[in-house]
Amino acid sequence: MTASLPALVRYQAALLVGSYRWLPPLLAYAAFLAIGVQTGGPILDAYGYAAGGLLPVSVWLARICATNEPPAARSCVAAAAGPGRAHLAALLAAVGAALVLALAGAAFVALLSDPHSTGHRVAVPVLPATGAGLLTALVCLLLGIGIGALCSPPVLRRPGWGVPVGLIAALLVLVLGASPANAALRGMITGSERGTVTVPWLSLAVAVPLASAATALACALGGRRG
Amino acid sequence: MPRQEAQRMRLDGVGRRYGLRGPWVLREVRLDVPAGALLRIEGTNGSGKSTLLRLLAGIDRPTTGRITGRPRTAYVPERFPAALPFTAAGYLAHLGRVHGLRTPEAADRAAEWLARFGAAGHARTPLAELSKGTSQKVAVAQALLAEPELLVLDEAWTGLDPAARDTLDRAVAERVAAGGTVVFVDHDPRRLAGAASARYRVADGRLLPRERGTAAEPADGVDAGAGPRTVVEAEGPPGSPPPSGLPGAPDLAPGPGNSLRLTVATVHSDALLRALLTARPPWHIRAVAADEPPGPGTPGTPGTPAPGEAPRP
Repeated sequence: MTASLPALVRYQAALLVGSYRWLPPLLAYAAFLAIGVQTGGPILDAYGYAAGGLLPVSVWLARICATNEPPAARSCVAAAAGPGRAHLAALLAAVGAALVLALAGAAFVALLSDPHSTGHRVAVPVLPATGAGLLTALVCLLLGIGIGALCSPPVLRRPGWGVPVGLIAALLVLVLGASPANAALRGMITGSERGTVTVPWLSLAVAVPLASAATALACALGGRRG
Repeated sequence: MPRQEAQRMRLDGVGRRYGLRGPWVLREVRLDVPAGALLRIEGTNGSGKSTLLRLLAGIDRPTTGRITGRPRTAYVPERFPAALPFTAAGYLAHLGRVHGLRTPEAADRAAEWLARFGAAGHARTPLAELSKGTSQKVAVAQALLAEPELLVLDEAWTGLDPAARDTLDRAVAERVAAGGTVVFVDHDPRRLAGAASARYRVADGRLLPRERGTAAEPADGVDAGAGPRTVVEAEGPPGSPPPSGLPGAPDLAPGPGNSLRLTVATVHSDALLRALLTARPPWHIRAVAADEPPGPGTPGTPGTPAPGEAPRP
């Protein structure tokens, strides 16, 4: 196949931007940050909060991108590039959109928060804290995209089921102790109490294969819908 | 033109059903898709024609069996949605890049195909504001600008105005003349009549071959084997045979003087002329004329002139 993945992602990104369906998740995430991130609050707590909110927003964005194309238009692209690559491009566009939100959220936290521990006693270095915050956001983003890929066509095709199942899955992944997202967030919160920066390498090492497997499953099913 | 000569596309024992326990839409489909062929698929509504086309286009995958040797493919759906946030030119540039073209090349070809279909004035129009017919022209241009090796048309003519339908007919003939394969479904039994190299019928989930131009088996009451034909009177260098592999596989007969009469389905006439004029050494064209309809070929339409032969008002 000569079809290039960058061209596919560019098409999907343009489709997302032009459709304005990114606006509701953006507003929801902005409101979430505006409510929870306080001026002068502890920086690691705020990064954890921002990352946690990114998870359901990533689920939402993945669902938007997976369902953004009218079927006939999707058929044209699938014939040229193969249905699996077409679907992969849609999910990668969602990753890009979620990354933009993650960076904007991190910048918002860095501007407003106080680089100290929860009790304001221990100073927290801003750059390592920001690095850990971004990696925590990345863990949540990847898991969110993975959940979104599994809660959208072609994996979950029943209309009306995707949104509740996706929301419940996002909540469970945030709350359950075994989940890498929960581990990364706990690391940020306990780190904030002690004034130490915990980089969630292990969570990332688990989240990457999980998200990849979910994406691969969704793309492999791409040609078997209907 | 890049072509994968080594592998030809084949469907081997292909079956498709939806769901684990759904009925078989297609079963045991065996089909060779040679390069340079124009295949017509027929069948009643719901017979599985569209499913077969989606399998051929690679949009859908078979439940059983294998499809091998897929070339570069493009697909045109019957109804193209206007619900995309692009202009016509913008959408075509995106699809050209997806097909592997560079941006300037994609833009040039998009402009060329919109112009050929008489939609050049709509290049900057958002797709959402286009009429149904103009949207369909964009869908057709999307597939043709890639010069695909396999072009799959699912009633792509529906919604096009008559001039655009003729343009699409000729574009199909060009694709075939260039060595590409075209597979199509159309509800008009006269569509590309006489030009198709093979016809198949989908019935009860099976794919059955049909003889070319069988007058005894009219499709939907109209004989589909005979279509408008064109006679080209051409003169080659003395003693030299006509070039091999001429578009549309013309019938050859000696003409007046040293000339040769080549009779071909009208949609192939442009491609045939191009092939003759650009042959090495080139042929001289003496005359081009519409052929008389073949006498016994139209039993299904008593009292009416053969399609395409009616005088234009």
